[in-house]
Amino acid sequence: MILEVENVSKRFGALAALTRVSFAVETGQVFSVIGPNGAGKSTLFNVVSGLFAPNTGRVRFRGEDITGLPPERVNRLGLAKTFQITNIFPEISVVDNVRVAAQSRAPESGRPASLWRRPDVDGSALGLLEAFGLAGRRDAHAKNLSHGEQRYLEICVALATSPTLLLLDEPTAGMTPGETRDATALIRKVVLERGLTLLLIEHDMSVVMGISDRVAVLHFGEKIAEGTPDAIRNDPRVIEAYLGGGDD
Amino acid sequence: MRAFGWRAVVVFALLATLPLVPGMSRYYLLLAFDALLFGAIAMSLDLLMGYTGLVSFGHAAFYGLGAYATAILMERGVQSVWACVGFALLVVGLYALVVSYFATARRGIYFALLTLIFAEVVYTFFRYTQTFGGSDGIQGLPDATLFPGLVLDTPVRKYYLVLVYLAGAYAICRVLVASHFGRVLVAIRENEDRARFLGYNVQRYKMGACMISALLTGVAGAIYPMRSAFATPDLMLWTESGEFIISVMIGGLGTLVGPIIGGAFFTILRDKVSSFVDWYFIVIGGVLIVIVLFMPRGLLGLRQLFARRSGRAAA
Repeated sequence: MILEVENVSKRFGALAALTRVSFAVETGQVFSVIGPNGAGKSTLFNVVSGLFAPNTGRVRFRGEDITGLPPERVNRLGLAKTFQITNIFPEISVVDNVRVAAQSRAPESGRPASLWRRPDVDGSALGLLEAFGLAGRRDAHAKNLSHGEQRYLEICVALATSPTLLLLDEPTAGMTPGETRDATALIRKVVLERGLTLLLIEHDMSVVMGISDRVAVLHFGEKIAEGTPDAIRNDPRVIEAYLGGGDD
Repeated sequence: MRAFGWRAVVVFALLATLPLVPGMSRYYLLLAFDALLFGAIAMSLDLLMGYTGLVSFGHAAFYGLGAYATAILMERGVQSVWACVGFALLVVGLYALVVSYFATARRGIYFALLTLIFAEVVYTFFRYTQTFGGSDGIQGLPDATLFPGLVLDTPVRKYYLVLVYLAGAYAICRVLVASHFGRVLVAIRENEDRARFLGYNVQRYKMGACMISALLTGVAGAIYPMRSAFATPDLMLWTESGEFIISVMIGGLGTLVGPIIGGAFFTILRDKVSSFVDWYFIVIGGVLIVIVLFMPRGLLGLRQLFARRSGRAAA
């Protein structure tokens, strides 16, 4: 088990964003969390990645209790996440976005030498940009990339911290169906190549069905189903959640 | 040397020949001293404002504390430049540690306000207690000694002192902004939250930037009484912090060189205009409004503007 989420609840005032959610991700799996908008998926990611401490429950990463650790500590343990709304460094170049992420794992990081030395991380940074077809845009300001390119850069920045578990929050948000297909295939390829475990959030069911080993469904902050993609597709509670006015 | 750049070497070499210019008077040399010192402070502040995205409204306290450190030692018969600078680093360092710890725990306007409040406390202490001379400060200081037998007693020697300091501080800043640390500062400026998710302890980096900026400003403060022969509480007044900020804005955020030019420009403008009219600040205000409205990237932005135009014409 690389990640264990146990009985996690998170309230914002009177709103119960998550209620006793539990699941476990095995090493090497592609695990997806789906659910209609407002189901609590992003809140779940924010609890796992350290932005919020849960009101109840525990989160364990590779056996270590990470509940309530700040994001920078969680990231250093090998868990990286992307954001649903693109969250990059807009006024610096594409390659510098990836470099600054990659250098956080350089031996100089956090030591006095980091004041005068700049670790050479160009190899890994450019490798990532190439994998996502951004090498030609390396010197562009990140804010000048197209939406699709920014979504890819978002993933590159997270991958540059050499995680073992990657959390992607709706990586294809705002993409056309064609772009979504390409992006899904690309993500799957990179995850396989790097031997990563992937935890994916989607509200678009078609994206996850092709690539997931296991799927959990959130609805109004509760897990209503978990299983293989086929089992989920035919689960009457899931169909009800998606078609039965779950967004209202 | 590589980080320093050959253009900087040329500029500093030219500045070094300034005392040789025919007709260079004592008055102009001391004005040059003030201009370069102000430029150095603005450059130190640029580490925070331009690179880290933090606006400090309390740099006058680092400056003033440095000046008092020198004045207090000199009053007790210690005239060594090294001892004064060392003592200033100690005093300013301790104070900056406290300020930066609390101020970096908050963002944006709260950071600015906390730095301002701490600085006002320091100002009030020096202004209203008689321990260090109250509102008169410490006056009539002797000339400083660089080495036994080398007293900084002429405007030329004082000018070279500040020039060497500026060159050293510039080299430090240049290396710093190109380093791992400097790149993380820029990432924090751009997107603090994302930087945390990349494993960076953002507050520690901000504190580091504050400390370095404060120490460089403190050394500038330690040097000032070696030219003026006094330290007064007015050096710590919040308007002084405001002038540092204005200098950074005039010169161009996040460029290091720009704020040096901005600080020097501001000093010379103030000196020239105030010798003609009492309401000089209205004139400076007018200049500032024009710069902010029409040159948001400051004086140095003009260069980039021209470079872009000519680049476009060539393409």
